[in-house]
Amino acid sequence: MPFLMPVRDKIFGVLIAIGGCLTVWWAVSWAGLVSPFLLPPPVKVWRAFVALWSSGELLHHTWASAMRVGIGYGLAVSVAIPLAIVFSASGIVRVVAEPLLEFLRQIPPLALMPLLMLWLGIGEAQKIGIIILACFFPVFLGMRGGIAQADRKLIEVGKVCGLNRWEIIRRIVMPSALPALVVGLRISLGYSWRALVGAELIASSVGLGYLITDAQDLARTDIVLVGILVIGVVGLATDFLLKRLCARLAPWLAGDLEMARA
Amino acid sequence: MLELSNIGKHYDVAGHRVAALSGIDLTLTRGSFTTIVGRSGCGKTTLLRILAGLASPDTGEVLSGGPAPRIGVVFQEARLMPWLKVAENIAFGLRKRVDRKTIDERVSAILDLTGLSAFRSAMPAQLSGGMAQRVALARALVMEPDLLLMDEPFAALDAFTRRSMQNELVSLWQARKPTIVFVTHDVEEAVVLGQTVIELSEGRVVGRQTVDIPYPRDPTGVEASLCRRAVLARLLTPATPDRMQTKPD
Repeated sequence: MPFLMPVRDKIFGVLIAIGGCLTVWWAVSWAGLVSPFLLPPPVKVWRAFVALWSSGELLHHTWASAMRVGIGYGLAVSVAIPLAIVFSASGIVRVVAEPLLEFLRQIPPLALMPLLMLWLGIGEAQKIGIIILACFFPVFLGMRGGIAQADRKLIEVGKVCGLNRWEIIRRIVMPSALPALVVGLRISLGYSWRALVGAELIASSVGLGYLITDAQDLARTDIVLVGILVIGVVGLATDFLLKRLCARLAPWLAGDLEMARA
Repeated sequence: MLELSNIGKHYDVAGHRVAALSGIDLTLTRGSFTTIVGRSGCGKTTLLRILAGLASPDTGEVLSGGPAPRIGVVFQEARLMPWLKVAENIAFGLRKRVDRKTIDERVSAILDLTGLSAFRSAMPAQLSGGMAQRVALARALVMEPDLLLMDEPFAALDAFTRRSMQNELVSLWQARKPTIVFVTHDVEEAVVLGQTVIELSEGRVVGRQTVDIPYPRDPTGVEASLCRRAVLARLLTPATPDRMQTKPD
């Protein structure tokens, strides 16, 4: 099982994968198989990274994107979890609101961008709105699924112990739902970074998405690659931090944490 | 004292009305140890669930001669909360009833009594099957139940652990004297544990055996063997035509 793999082996595996990719990339560039304009060599991308880092530009864009992701993700999670509990607890709410939510779930968040621009303007609210829409459903559905799958046998233990409905929800159903919620949280976090670039494509003057599209306009594929790599690395780092936080708060979820892949 | 009068229970299975229990009359005296034995699907678990208040009978009623008894249940599986430590699992039902100090005292006492003190901070995933079942027993006992209901709690354990748990259960019962109803499909276990063995077949009581052997009982002893044979003989008697098919429990 992967989560039982020693840390040393994991690090070794990551180094092999990165080293292999870099070697192939370098070899393809060196052999001239692809135009340097389309795929600049690793050294050129590294130089672009160093230049952007030294000027503080990269940190500026990364911070702006991270703030948007943080706010959007936080808002989505803080709305999705209570709403999932209400949906699970109330049949009337389910009957009335579920069709609407199911309809919204089918619509890609980016398809709503023109409407969001009209409603929220072209400032931060529109970008954060896109991230909220992208993050909401995995958390909402994860929480609902977790509640629905709460072990009936444990609920019976609660009944035998004399717990009332609210106590059963709080002390048995909610902890039972955590594994599915964690999966939803991690998938959402991945979606938030994916939605970010789309959100920063239009009417943006800062952020990693803006950095990438601006570099594309300037035909600087090296900077485009820097932006892409930074999004990947920051996404991985935030996912790792979330996983560590979950492992600390809920150590019994070790297996479930490895199951969730954003 | 607890009295079950004309208890009946049916289930609808694939459009068929299937009788799980019919006309069960049973009296449980305070501090008694009753075992209920029968084949799988004879209605034992259904009867226990009715006693626990987890299911309602279609006919008949359960009467208690006094205030409603405090009930503890030990299920076939340990059913421990995987997110709670052993001590927290044991205290699970107490949090609502007593203050923090009393919880600590009672949990410590029950941990000592069940030999679980060293595992106080362990998580359920770290326990063996026998250990987990012992925690489940401790969780039921810590509530100081008047009525302890046990649904084949040792069925999944190996023979050695099962024997050890049976002995511990008898010691705990002798020390605290709750009324115990213990369901099993193992006739030997029923005879080793119970003062009275109720034989259940196809949802009906088909026999009762008083086991007047001092504890601890030797399952291979002559008296226990005779009791076991008598119980088996009644349980193996072919069912009468009016008996309905029962739902597996």
